[in-house]
Amino acid sequence: MKVAISSEGPDLESAISRRFGVSAYLLIVDLESETLEAVQNPGSVARHSAGIQAVVQLLSRDVQVLLTGYCSPVARQHLEANGVQVRAGLSGIGRDILQRYKTAEMESGEEERSEPESFRRVLGRDNLYNAARQSWNQFLSMLPVLSGVVLLVGLFNSLVSKQFVASVFSGHAVFDTFWGACAGSVFTGNPINSYVIGGELSKQGVSLFAVTAFLLTWVTVGLVQLPAESAALGRRFAILRNIVCFILAFPVALATVFVLAFVTGMDP
Amino acid sequence: MIAQADSEPKDGRRRKRATIFPICVLALYGAVYFIAPEKIGLALSVDVKILLSLCLPLAFVFAVLFLVNVLVRPSQVARFLGKHSGVKGMLLALVAGIISAGPIFAWYPLLKRLKDAGAGDGPIAIFLYNRAVKPFLLPVMIGFYGWPYVLVLTFLMILGSIVVGFSMEVAGRRL
Repeated sequence: MKVAISSEGPDLESAISRRFGVSAYLLIVDLESETLEAVQNPGSVARHSAGIQAVVQLLSRDVQVLLTGYCSPVARQHLEANGVQVRAGLSGIGRDILQRYKTAEMESGEEERSEPESFRRVLGRDNLYNAARQSWNQFLSMLPVLSGVVLLVGLFNSLVSKQFVASVFSGHAVFDTFWGACAGSVFTGNPINSYVIGGELSKQGVSLFAVTAFLLTWVTVGLVQLPAESAALGRRFAILRNIVCFILAFPVALATVFVLAFVTGMDP
Repeated sequence: MIAQADSEPKDGRRRKRATIFPICVLALYGAVYFIAPEKIGLALSVDVKILLSLCLPLAFVFAVLFLVNVLVRPSQVARFLGKHSGVKGMLLALVAGIISAGPIFAWYPLLKRLKDAGAGDGPIAIFLYNRAVKPFLLPVMIGFYGWPYVLVLTFLMILGSIVVGFSMEVAGRRL
Protein backbone atom coordinates (compact mmCIF):
# COMPACT_ATOMS: atom_id res chain seq x y z
CA MET A 1 0.00 0.00 0.00
CA LYS A 2 1.30 3.45 -0.89
CA VAL A 3 0.85 6.48 1.35
CA ALA A 4 1.60 10.02 0.16
CA ILE A 5 2.60 12.88 2.45
CA SER A 6 2.59 16.49 1.26
CA SER A 7 5.94 17.75 2.46
CA GLU A 8 8.10 20.86 2.66
CA GLY A 9 11.24 18.83 1.89
CA PRO A 10 12.40 15.65 0.10
CA ASP A 11 12.67 13.41 3.18
CA LEU A 12 10.64 12.22 6.16
CA GLU A 13 12.45 14.59 8.50
CA SER A 14 10.79 17.54 6.75
CA ALA A 15 7.62 19.15 8.01
CA ILE A 16 4.30 18.24 6.45
CA SER A 17 3.09 20.91 4.06
CA ARG A 18 0.04 22.86 5.15
CA ARG A 19 -1.47 22.75 1.63
CA PHE A 20 -1.46 19.63 -0.54
CA GLY A 21 -1.80 21.34 -3.95
CA VAL A 22 1.19 23.67 -3.59
CA SER A 23 3.44 21.58 -1.34
CA ALA A 24 7.07 21.46 -2.50
CA TYR A 25 7.27 17.65 -2.45
CA LEU A 26 5.03 14.63 -2.40
CA LEU A 27 6.64 11.86 -0.38
CA ILE A 28 5.33 8.50 -1.53
CA VAL A 29 5.97 5.71 0.94
CA ASP A 30 5.39 2.07 0.01
CA LEU A 31 4.47 0.45 3.33
CA GLU A 32 5.15 -3.07 2.06
CA SER A 33 8.60 -2.57 0.54
CA GLU A 34 9.35 0.33 2.95
CA THR A 35 10.70 2.49 0.14
CA LEU A 36 10.42 6.25 -0.18
CA GLU A 37 10.01 8.21 -3.39
CA ALA A 38 10.26 12.01 -3.21
CA VAL A 39 8.44 13.63 -6.11
CA GLN A 40 8.70 17.35 -6.80
CA ASN A 41 5.14 18.58 -6.89
CA PRO A 42 4.45 20.24 -10.27
CA GLY A 43 1.62 22.08 -8.52
CA SER A 44 4.10 24.04 -6.39
CA VAL A 45 5.19 26.10 -9.41
CA ALA A 46 2.00 25.88 -11.49
CA ARG A 47 0.05 29.00 -12.29
CA HIS A 48 -3.25 27.16 -12.42
CA SER A 49 -4.73 23.75 -11.60
CA ALA A 50 -2.06 23.13 -8.95
CA GLY A 51 -4.31 20.77 -7.00
CA ILE A 52 -5.25 18.75 -10.08
CA GLN A 53 -1.60 18.35 -11.11
CA ALA A 54 -0.81 17.01 -7.67
CA VAL A 55 -3.86 14.69 -7.89
CA VAL A 56 -2.58 13.29 -11.21
CA GLN A 57 0.82 12.61 -9.62
CA LEU A 58 -0.81 10.55 -6.86
CA LEU A 59 -3.20 8.65 -9.12
CA SER A 60 -0.52 7.78 -11.66
CA ARG A 61 1.57 6.31 -8.81
CA ASP A 62 -1.27 4.23 -7.39
CA VAL A 63 -1.33 5.99 -4.02
CA GLN A 64 -4.12 4.86 -1.70
CA VAL A 65 -3.84 7.32 1.20
CA LEU A 66 -2.91 11.02 1.37
CA LEU A 67 -1.72 12.59 4.62
CA THR A 68 -1.70 16.39 4.49
CA GLY A 69 -2.36 19.63 6.30
CA TYR A 70 -5.13 20.85 4.02
CA CYS A 71 -6.69 19.45 0.85
CA SER A 72 -9.03 21.60 -1.27
CA PRO A 73 -12.60 20.29 -1.75
CA VAL A 74 -12.05 19.84 -5.51
CA ALA A 75 -8.83 17.83 -5.09
CA ARG A 76 -10.44 15.81 -2.29
CA GLN A 77 -13.44 15.06 -4.49
CA HIS A 78 -11.19 13.70 -7.28
CA LEU A 79 -9.05 11.69 -4.90
CA GLU A 80 -11.94 10.14 -3.00
CA ALA A 81 -13.86 9.42 -6.20
CA ASN A 82 -10.83 7.43 -7.29
CA GLY A 83 -10.47 5.46 -4.10
CA VAL A 84 -7.79 7.54 -2.35
CA GLN A 85 -8.41 8.19 1.35
CA VAL A 86 -7.61 11.76 2.42
CA ARG A 87 -6.46 12.43 6.00
CA ALA A 88 -6.21 16.21 6.41
CA GLY A 89 -5.68 18.52 9.39
CA LEU A 90 -2.28 16.97 10.22
CA SER A 91 0.85 18.81 11.34
CA GLY A 92 4.39 17.89 12.37
CA ILE A 93 7.31 15.94 10.92
CA GLY A 94 6.67 13.42 8.15
CA ARG A 95 8.16 10.45 10.03
CA ASP A 96 5.96 11.06 13.11
CA ILE A 97 2.84 11.48 11.04
CA LEU A 98 3.55 8.26 9.15
CA GLN A 99 4.12 6.39 12.40
CA ARG A 100 0.88 7.74 13.86
CA TYR A 101 -0.95 6.64 10.72
CA LYS A 102 0.51 3.11 10.89
CA THR A 103 -0.42 2.76 14.54
CA ALA A 104 -3.97 4.00 13.94
CA GLU A 105 -4.34 1.62 11.02
CA MET A 106 -3.25 -1.38 13.05
CA GLU A 107 -5.62 -0.45 15.86
CA SER A 108 -8.63 0.03 13.66
CA GLY A 109 -7.92 -3.09 11.60
CA GLU A 110 -9.07 -1.22 8.55
CA GLU A 111 -7.16 -3.44 6.14
CA GLU A 112 -9.54 -6.32 6.84
CA ARG A 113 -12.50 -4.22 5.80
CA SER A 114 -11.00 -2.64 2.70
CA GLU A 115 -12.21 -5.24 0.17
CA PRO A 116 -15.92 -5.29 1.11
CA GLU A 117 -15.83 -1.48 1.36
CA SER A 118 -14.41 -1.25 -2.15
CA PHE A 119 -17.12 -3.63 -3.40
CA ARG A 120 -19.84 -1.63 -1.66
CA ARG A 121 -18.48 1.57 -3.18
CA VAL A 122 -18.81 0.17 -6.72
CA LEU A 123 -22.42 -0.90 -6.15
CA GLY A 124 -23.24 2.00 -3.82
CA ARG A 125 -26.20 4.25 -4.59
CA ASP A 126 -23.97 7.31 -5.17
CA ASN A 127 -21.73 5.48 -7.62
CA LEU A 128 -24.70 4.03 -9.54
CA TYR A 129 -26.39 7.44 -9.64
CA ASN A 130 -23.20 9.15 -10.86
CA ALA A 131 -22.66 6.43 -13.48
CA ALA A 132 -26.26 6.77 -14.72
CA ARG A 133 -25.96 10.55 -14.89
CA GLN A 134 -22.59 10.35 -16.66
CA SER A 135 -23.94 7.77 -19.13
CA TRP A 136 -27.00 9.88 -19.83
CA ASN A 137 -24.83 12.96 -20.46
CA GLN A 138 -22.50 11.00 -22.76
CA PHE A 139 -25.52 9.54 -24.55
CA LEU A 140 -27.16 12.96 -24.96
CA SER A 141 -23.92 14.49 -26.20
CA MET A 142 -23.87 11.98 -29.08
CA LEU A 143 -27.41 12.73 -30.20
CA PRO A 144 -27.19 16.22 -31.82
CA VAL A 145 -24.41 15.27 -34.24
CA LEU A 146 -25.85 11.78 -34.78
CA SER A 147 -29.27 13.23 -35.69
CA GLY A 148 -27.53 15.69 -38.06
CA VAL A 149 -25.65 12.81 -39.68
CA VAL A 150 -28.89 10.80 -40.12
CA LEU A 151 -30.59 13.83 -41.72
CA LEU A 152 -27.60 14.45 -43.99
CA VAL A 153 -27.42 10.82 -45.06
CA GLY A 154 -31.14 10.92 -45.95
CA LEU A 155 -30.59 14.05 -48.04
CA PHE A 156 -27.50 12.54 -49.67
CA ASN A 157 -29.53 9.44 -50.60
CA SER A 158 -32.25 11.48 -52.23
CA LEU A 159 -29.95 13.88 -54.11
CA VAL A 160 -26.99 11.75 -55.18
CA SER A 161 -27.56 8.88 -57.55
CA LYS A 162 -26.01 5.45 -57.18
CA GLN A 163 -24.42 5.92 -60.61
CA PHE A 164 -22.52 8.99 -59.39
CA VAL A 165 -21.29 7.18 -56.28
CA ALA A 166 -20.23 4.24 -58.44
CA SER A 167 -18.27 6.59 -60.69
CA VAL A 168 -16.25 7.91 -57.72
CA PHE A 169 -15.72 4.50 -56.12
CA SER A 170 -14.79 2.29 -59.04
CA GLY A 171 -14.45 -0.92 -57.04
CA HIS A 172 -10.65 -0.88 -57.34
CA ALA A 173 -9.32 -2.06 -53.97
CA VAL A 174 -6.41 0.39 -53.62
CA PHE A 175 -8.09 3.50 -55.08
CA ASP A 176 -11.30 2.93 -53.10
CA THR A 177 -9.29 2.44 -49.92
CA PHE A 178 -7.41 5.67 -50.63
CA TRP A 179 -10.56 7.74 -51.14
CA GLY A 180 -12.25 6.16 -48.13
CA ALA A 181 -9.19 6.91 -45.99
CA CYS A 182 -9.06 10.52 -47.25
CA ALA A 183 -12.74 11.10 -46.42
CA GLY A 184 -12.37 9.59 -42.95
CA SER A 185 -9.24 11.66 -42.25
CA VAL A 186 -10.91 14.98 -42.98
CA PHE A 187 -13.99 14.29 -40.89
CA THR A 188 -13.82 13.16 -37.32
CA GLY A 189 -15.99 12.58 -34.27
CA ASN A 190 -17.87 9.84 -32.47
CA PRO A 191 -17.41 6.45 -34.21
CA ILE A 192 -21.19 5.92 -34.24
CA ASN A 193 -21.52 8.63 -36.91
CA SER A 194 -19.01 6.86 -39.15
CA TYR A 195 -20.99 3.60 -38.77
CA VAL A 196 -24.16 5.30 -40.03
CA ILE A 197 -22.41 7.05 -42.95
CA GLY A 198 -20.37 3.95 -43.86
CA GLY A 199 -23.45 1.73 -43.66
CA GLU A 200 -25.38 3.96 -46.03
CA LEU A 201 -22.41 4.30 -48.42
CA SER A 202 -22.23 0.52 -48.47
CA LYS A 203 -25.93 0.36 -49.44
CA GLN A 204 -25.17 2.83 -52.23
CA GLY A 205 -22.73 0.32 -53.66
CA VAL A 206 -19.47 1.74 -52.29
CA SER A 207 -16.96 -1.08 -51.85
CA LEU A 208 -16.14 -2.48 -48.42
CA PHE A 209 -12.49 -1.41 -48.95
CA ALA A 210 -13.52 2.25 -49.00
CA VAL A 211 -16.02 1.90 -46.15
CA THR A 212 -13.49 0.09 -43.93
CA ALA A 213 -10.76 2.69 -44.60
CA PHE A 214 -13.33 5.38 -43.85
CA LEU A 215 -14.29 3.79 -40.51
CA LEU A 216 -10.63 3.35 -39.56
CA THR A 217 -9.46 6.89 -40.29
CA TRP A 218 -12.60 8.53 -38.90
CA VAL A 219 -11.34 7.97 -35.34
CA THR A 220 -7.60 7.33 -35.75
CA VAL A 221 -6.75 10.26 -38.08
CA GLY A 222 -8.12 13.73 -37.49
CA LEU A 223 -7.04 16.74 -39.53
CA VAL A 224 -9.69 18.84 -37.80
CA GLN A 225 -8.42 17.98 -34.32
CA LEU A 226 -4.71 18.10 -35.26
CA PRO A 227 -4.17 21.56 -33.65
CA ALA A 228 -5.67 20.34 -30.36
CA GLU A 229 -3.60 17.15 -30.43
CA SER A 230 -0.44 19.12 -31.29
CA ALA A 231 -1.03 21.53 -28.41
CA ALA A 232 -1.51 18.68 -25.93
CA LEU A 233 0.99 16.07 -27.07
CA GLY A 234 3.45 17.99 -29.26
CA ARG A 235 3.45 18.75 -32.98
CA ARG A 236 5.93 16.00 -33.88
CA PHE A 237 3.91 13.36 -32.04
CA ALA A 238 0.59 14.52 -33.52
CA ILE A 239 1.80 14.71 -37.15
CA LEU A 240 3.72 11.44 -36.99
CA ARG A 241 0.85 9.57 -35.32
CA ASN A 242 -1.66 10.81 -37.91
CA ILE A 243 0.64 9.85 -40.82
CA VAL A 244 1.29 6.36 -39.37
CA CYS A 245 -2.46 5.80 -38.79
CA PHE A 246 -3.32 6.98 -42.32
CA ILE A 247 -0.77 4.62 -43.89
CA LEU A 248 -1.87 1.76 -41.64
CA ALA A 249 -5.49 2.19 -42.77
CA PHE A 250 -4.49 0.62 -46.11
CA PRO A 251 -3.19 -2.77 -44.93
CA VAL A 252 -5.86 -3.02 -42.21
CA ALA A 253 -8.72 -2.22 -44.63
CA LEU A 254 -7.39 -4.56 -47.33
CA ALA A 255 -6.73 -7.36 -44.82
CA THR A 256 -10.20 -6.95 -43.28
CA VAL A 257 -11.98 -7.39 -46.60
CA PHE A 258 -9.77 -10.25 -47.79
CA VAL A 259 -10.02 -12.12 -44.45
CA LEU A 260 -13.79 -11.59 -44.44
CA ALA A 261 -13.99 -12.88 -48.01
CA PHE A 262 -11.94 -15.91 -47.03
CA VAL A 263 -14.06 -16.63 -43.94
CA THR A 264 -17.51 -16.02 -45.42
CA GLY A 265 -16.81 -16.94 -49.04
CA MET A 266 -18.07 -13.59 -50.40
CA ASP A 267 -16.42 -11.72 -53.30
CA PRO A 268 -13.95 -9.10 -52.03
CA MET B 1 -13.33 12.40 -14.32
CA ILE B 2 -10.09 14.35 -14.08
CA ALA B 3 -10.14 15.32 -17.70
CA GLN B 4 -13.79 16.15 -17.52
CA ALA B 5 -13.28 18.30 -14.44
CA ASP B 6 -10.62 20.29 -16.28
CA SER B 7 -12.96 20.94 -19.18
CA GLU B 8 -16.17 21.53 -17.22
CA PRO B 9 -16.51 25.23 -18.18
CA LYS B 10 -16.07 24.28 -21.84
CA ASP B 11 -18.74 21.56 -21.81
CA GLY B 12 -21.65 23.98 -22.18
CA ARG B 13 -20.05 25.71 -25.16
CA ARG B 14 -19.18 22.35 -26.72
CA ARG B 15 -22.80 21.17 -26.40
CA LYS B 16 -24.04 24.39 -28.00
CA ARG B 17 -21.52 23.96 -30.83
CA ALA B 18 -22.73 20.38 -31.34
CA THR B 19 -26.24 21.65 -32.16
CA ILE B 20 -24.90 23.91 -34.93
CA PHE B 21 -24.37 20.95 -37.26
CA PRO B 22 -27.95 19.53 -37.15
CA ILE B 23 -29.33 23.08 -37.43
CA CYS B 24 -27.23 23.63 -40.58
CA VAL B 25 -28.51 20.32 -42.02
CA LEU B 26 -32.11 21.37 -41.29
CA ALA B 27 -31.39 24.66 -43.09
CA LEU B 28 -30.14 22.57 -46.02
CA TYR B 29 -33.45 20.67 -45.97
CA GLY B 30 -35.24 24.05 -46.11
CA ALA B 31 -33.16 25.11 -49.13
CA VAL B 32 -33.75 21.79 -50.93
CA TYR B 33 -37.48 22.05 -50.21
CA PHE B 34 -37.65 25.25 -52.29
CA ILE B 35 -35.55 23.83 -55.15
CA ALA B 36 -36.77 20.22 -55.33
CA PRO B 37 -39.60 19.58 -52.83
CA GLU B 38 -40.13 15.99 -54.05
CA LYS B 39 -36.65 15.05 -52.76
CA ILE B 40 -37.55 15.93 -49.16
CA GLY B 41 -40.12 13.14 -48.85
CA LEU B 42 -37.58 10.60 -50.10
CA ALA B 43 -34.91 11.96 -47.71
CA LEU B 44 -37.27 11.79 -44.73
CA SER B 45 -38.27 8.21 -45.51
CA VAL B 46 -34.56 7.25 -45.49
CA ASP B 47 -34.13 9.16 -42.19
CA VAL B 48 -37.00 7.22 -40.58
CA LYS B 49 -35.58 3.88 -41.77
CA ILE B 50 -32.15 4.70 -40.32
CA LEU B 51 -33.63 5.92 -37.03
CA LEU B 52 -35.72 2.76 -36.66
CA SER B 53 -32.67 0.60 -37.31
CA LEU B 54 -30.78 2.57 -34.64
CA CYS B 55 -33.37 2.32 -31.82
CA LEU B 56 -32.50 -1.10 -30.43
CA PRO B 57 -28.70 -0.79 -30.80
CA LEU B 58 -28.85 2.62 -29.07
CA ALA B 59 -30.66 1.06 -26.10
CA PHE B 60 -27.80 -1.46 -25.84
CA VAL B 61 -25.31 1.40 -26.19
CA PHE B 62 -26.78 3.11 -23.14
CA ALA B 63 -26.80 -0.12 -21.11
CA VAL B 64 -23.15 -0.94 -21.89
CA LEU B 65 -22.10 2.69 -21.38
CA PHE B 66 -23.69 2.56 -17.92
CA LEU B 67 -21.85 -0.67 -17.04
CA VAL B 68 -18.53 0.78 -18.20
CA ASN B 69 -19.11 3.92 -16.13
CA VAL B 70 -20.00 1.87 -13.03
CA LEU B 71 -16.96 -0.37 -13.26
CA VAL B 72 -14.24 1.78 -14.85
CA ARG B 73 -12.90 5.07 -13.63
CA PRO B 74 -10.71 7.43 -15.69
CA SER B 75 -8.09 7.37 -12.93
CA GLN B 76 -7.70 3.62 -13.36
CA VAL B 77 -7.20 4.21 -17.07
CA ALA B 78 -4.60 6.84 -16.21
CA ARG B 79 -2.80 4.39 -13.96
CA PHE B 80 -2.65 1.89 -16.79
CA LEU B 81 -0.93 4.44 -19.01
CA GLY B 82 1.38 6.04 -16.52
CA LYS B 83 2.54 3.16 -14.39
CA HIS B 84 3.92 0.53 -16.72
CA SER B 85 6.39 0.58 -19.58
CA GLY B 86 7.50 -1.76 -22.35
CA VAL B 87 5.23 -4.47 -23.75
CA LYS B 88 3.14 -4.60 -20.57
CA GLY B 89 2.56 -0.84 -20.71
CA MET B 90 1.47 -1.11 -24.35
CA LEU B 91 -0.96 -3.94 -23.62
CA LEU B 92 -2.44 -2.01 -20.72
CA ALA B 93 -2.73 1.10 -22.92
CA LEU B 94 -4.60 -1.06 -25.42
CA VAL B 95 -7.16 -2.09 -22.80
CA ALA B 96 -7.34 1.47 -21.47
CA GLY B 97 -8.09 2.85 -24.96
CA ILE B 98 -10.88 0.32 -25.48
CA ILE B 99 -12.62 0.99 -22.17
CA SER B 100 -12.17 4.77 -22.22
CA ALA B 101 -15.25 6.86 -22.94
CA GLY B 102 -16.12 10.50 -23.65
CA PRO B 103 -14.86 12.95 -26.27
CA ILE B 104 -11.17 12.86 -27.16
CA PHE B 105 -10.77 16.56 -26.27
CA ALA B 106 -11.54 15.69 -22.64
CA TRP B 107 -8.64 13.23 -22.62
CA TYR B 108 -5.93 15.52 -24.05
CA PRO B 109 -5.13 17.35 -20.77
CA LEU B 110 -4.71 14.06 -18.89
CA LEU B 111 -2.61 12.51 -21.67
CA LYS B 112 -0.43 15.62 -21.71
CA ARG B 113 0.24 15.29 -17.99
CA LEU B 114 1.01 11.61 -18.35
CA LYS B 115 3.42 12.41 -21.18
CA ASP B 116 5.06 15.12 -19.06
CA ALA B 117 5.31 12.58 -16.24
CA GLY B 118 7.24 10.20 -18.52
CA ALA B 119 4.64 8.02 -20.30
CA GLY B 120 6.06 6.89 -23.68
CA ASP B 121 4.80 7.81 -27.17
CA GLY B 122 3.93 4.16 -27.86
CA PRO B 123 1.34 3.63 -25.12
CA ILE B 124 -0.28 7.01 -25.79
CA ALA B 125 -0.53 6.26 -29.54
CA ILE B 126 -1.99 2.81 -28.76
CA PHE B 127 -4.48 4.40 -26.37
CA LEU B 128 -5.61 6.90 -29.03
CA TYR B 129 -5.89 4.23 -31.75
CA ASN B 130 -7.96 1.90 -29.61
CA ARG B 131 -10.50 4.61 -28.92
CA ALA B 132 -11.85 3.44 -32.30
CA VAL B 133 -12.71 0.09 -30.67
CA LYS B 134 -15.73 0.90 -28.53
CA PRO B 135 -17.46 -2.06 -26.88
CA PHE B 136 -20.56 0.01 -26.09
CA LEU B 137 -20.98 0.93 -29.77
CA LEU B 138 -20.62 -2.64 -31.04
CA PRO B 139 -24.42 -3.22 -31.13
CA VAL B 140 -24.74 -0.36 -33.64
CA MET B 141 -21.79 -1.57 -35.70
CA ILE B 142 -23.14 -5.14 -35.77
CA GLY B 143 -26.54 -3.79 -36.83
CA PHE B 144 -24.99 -2.15 -39.89
CA TYR B 145 -22.24 -4.59 -40.87
CA GLY B 146 -22.94 -7.95 -39.22
CA TRP B 147 -20.96 -10.08 -36.74
CA PRO B 148 -18.24 -11.49 -39.02
CA TYR B 149 -17.16 -8.08 -40.33
CA VAL B 150 -17.12 -6.51 -36.85
CA LEU B 151 -15.07 -9.37 -35.39
CA VAL B 152 -12.48 -9.31 -38.19
CA LEU B 153 -12.18 -5.51 -38.19
CA THR B 154 -11.93 -5.26 -34.39
CA PHE B 155 -9.25 -7.94 -34.25
CA LEU B 156 -7.20 -6.31 -37.02
CA MET B 157 -7.61 -2.85 -35.47
CA ILE B 158 -6.22 -4.12 -32.18
CA LEU B 159 -3.27 -5.65 -34.04
CA GLY B 160 -2.89 -2.40 -35.98
CA SER B 161 -2.78 -0.38 -32.78
CA ILE B 162 0.24 -2.37 -31.63
CA VAL B 163 1.97 -1.61 -34.94
CA VAL B 164 1.23 2.10 -34.42
CA GLY B 165 2.55 1.92 -30.85
CA PHE B 166 5.83 0.28 -31.81
CA SER B 167 6.26 2.65 -34.79
CA MET B 168 5.78 5.68 -32.55
CA GLU B 169 8.12 4.26 -29.92
CA VAL B 170 10.88 3.58 -32.50
CA ALA B 171 10.36 6.95 -34.21
CA GLY B 172 10.40 8.66 -30.81
CA ARG B 173 13.83 7.17 -30.04
CA ARG B 174 15.32 7.99 -33.46
CA LEU B 175 13.97 11.51 -34.05
